[in-house]
Amino acid sequence: MSRDLLVIDKVTKRFGGLKAVGGDAGLSFSVPEGTFLGLIGPNGAGKSTTFNLISGVLKPTSGAVILDGKDLSTARASEIASYGLGRTFQTPRAFPSLTVLENVMVGADNEGETLLSVLRGGWKARERALRDKATEVLRRVGLTERINDVVANLSGGELRMLEVARQLVRDPKILLLDEPTAGVDPSLQAKLSRILVDLHAEGRTLVVVEHNLHFLLQIADSVVVLQHGELLSKGTPSEIKADEKVIAAYLGADHAA
Amino acid sequence: MNTIAQIALTVLMFGSLFSVLTLSLNLQYARGGMINFGTVAYFAAGAYAYAIVTQEPPHGLDQYLVGLNAPWWAGFIAAGFAAMAFAFLTGWPTLRLRGEYLALTTFAFAEMLNSLLVNERGIGNGTVGLANVERPDAAILGLSENLVYAGAAFLLMLATAYAFGRLLASPYGRAVDAIRDDEVAAEAIGKDVARLRFQVFVISSIPIGFAGALYAMITTLVNPDLFSAEVTFFVWIALVLGGERTILGAVVGTMALVGFQEVIRAIPFESVRAAEIAAAAEDIVTGALFIVILRWQPFAALARRRHSA
Repeated sequence: MSRDLLVIDKVTKRFGGLKAVGGDAGLSFSVPEGTFLGLIGPNGAGKSTTFNLISGVLKPTSGAVILDGKDLSTARASEIASYGLGRTFQTPRAFPSLTVLENVMVGADNEGETLLSVLRGGWKARERALRDKATEVLRRVGLTERINDVVANLSGGELRMLEVARQLVRDPKILLLDEPTAGVDPSLQAKLSRILVDLHAEGRTLVVVEHNLHFLLQIADSVVVLQHGELLSKGTPSEIKADEKVIAAYLGADHAA
Repeated sequence: MNTIAQIALTVLMFGSLFSVLTLSLNLQYARGGMINFGTVAYFAAGAYAYAIVTQEPPHGLDQYLVGLNAPWWAGFIAAGFAAMAFAFLTGWPTLRLRGEYLALTTFAFAEMLNSLLVNERGIGNGTVGLANVERPDAAILGLSENLVYAGAAFLLMLATAYAFGRLLASPYGRAVDAIRDDEVAAEAIGKDVARLRFQVFVISSIPIGFAGALYAMITTLVNPDLFSAEVTFFVWIALVLGGERTILGAVVGTMALVGFQEVIRAIPFESVRAAEIAAAAEDIVTGALFIVILRWQPFAALARRRHSA
């Protein structure tokens, strides 16, 4: 059994009086290193809020998030990112004034971004290496032809790929993807699926929030189901598919539609 | 002919000088996404620092308390430090503010400094100001004073443009752009948004301080009236006029605005009344120009067209 890379320990989040995540007892689950974890649940179950709590965009009301032994309670989002947590957003976020290539290059932790380095002028050699790495990552997500394009010209699916590429160039220890298939056409979905399976095979740890259960249950190796901000069930995809509670809360509604 | 040459020299001198401010504002706002409505304060800090460091110790009717009688270059360096120190002081508590809140706070800081200079006579004789500010002797170079100071302003502008250009062309500039575009996404790739914004704010204020020193040398006078909010708005209009985000645009916009004002001033009016009307008309036309550019944003539209092409 591999060690737990990410631990969510009795986390709650309240907005005013509203219990968004964790109810009274708090939400707890852990992500062992090398796992491909699917995080599912009906609309409003608190999936994206959970992501925001892990990545530091939001702070838990109580409880702790621990990444690789580090307590993230007081860490800023940028610090959490530099500890090795990568994430994408439900609505893709790109930097519109940068080209596709620059959008990926800016993702790397770069010593060339300090004032001292600008004064010394020694960043150019590193920049070439970074450009090669970014180009390779863009090839991997299938954006080679878009490399010098502005992001305004990308489709919704391509923007999602760009976000993945921007995180991959950082070599994160754990990658959180928020609904990567939303608004993505089927051919791109198939490609995304292959990329995720490859990343998993390389030993990377992935957590994926997804509405598209068909997509997720095929490729994830374990699943956590949330409902009303609380843990409803967890297990392997086949266990989840057979779980009565999950079918009632989620799949049942889907099938009825 | 001689008049035209003189006007051209004045435009070059003040155009270059104020271009330094526009370039700094361009870095802060167009690239860093920070609205600084207190630009004049950093300019004033530089000018006063220069005057205080270079002037003789107080005697006679002087109300100021400090005069170090140091050489001009020491005053010039002190001016850069003074503007930087003021940026530290004002940037630290305010830079977490966004948009119009930052604009209001920086404006308030500038008004506070102005009020301090007016009321605290120990700094620079209050409203009277510091006259006969020391300056290097231009005659050593065997050229006219105007030519030397125009050249100095031009050099300062070139140096500022070069330094900022180099900064923005580096990975540092790319990170700054990313932060302006989307702070949340920038945080998600490990960019320390607060640190970078603060750095940009402080760095961009240094040349404004140098420009303040040069301004004090040119006018040989510093007093609070010279450093009113009008200077800030002048620089903002110049930036909007020239179009954001390009170094050349900032310079062209400033030169155009200074040129426009100098030409109006050079018209030989028959009466005081006519001159008054012209002065008022100048302000009105400048204001109208600003509104037209803001309302229809011709430059932004051009940039959009280029982007989507």
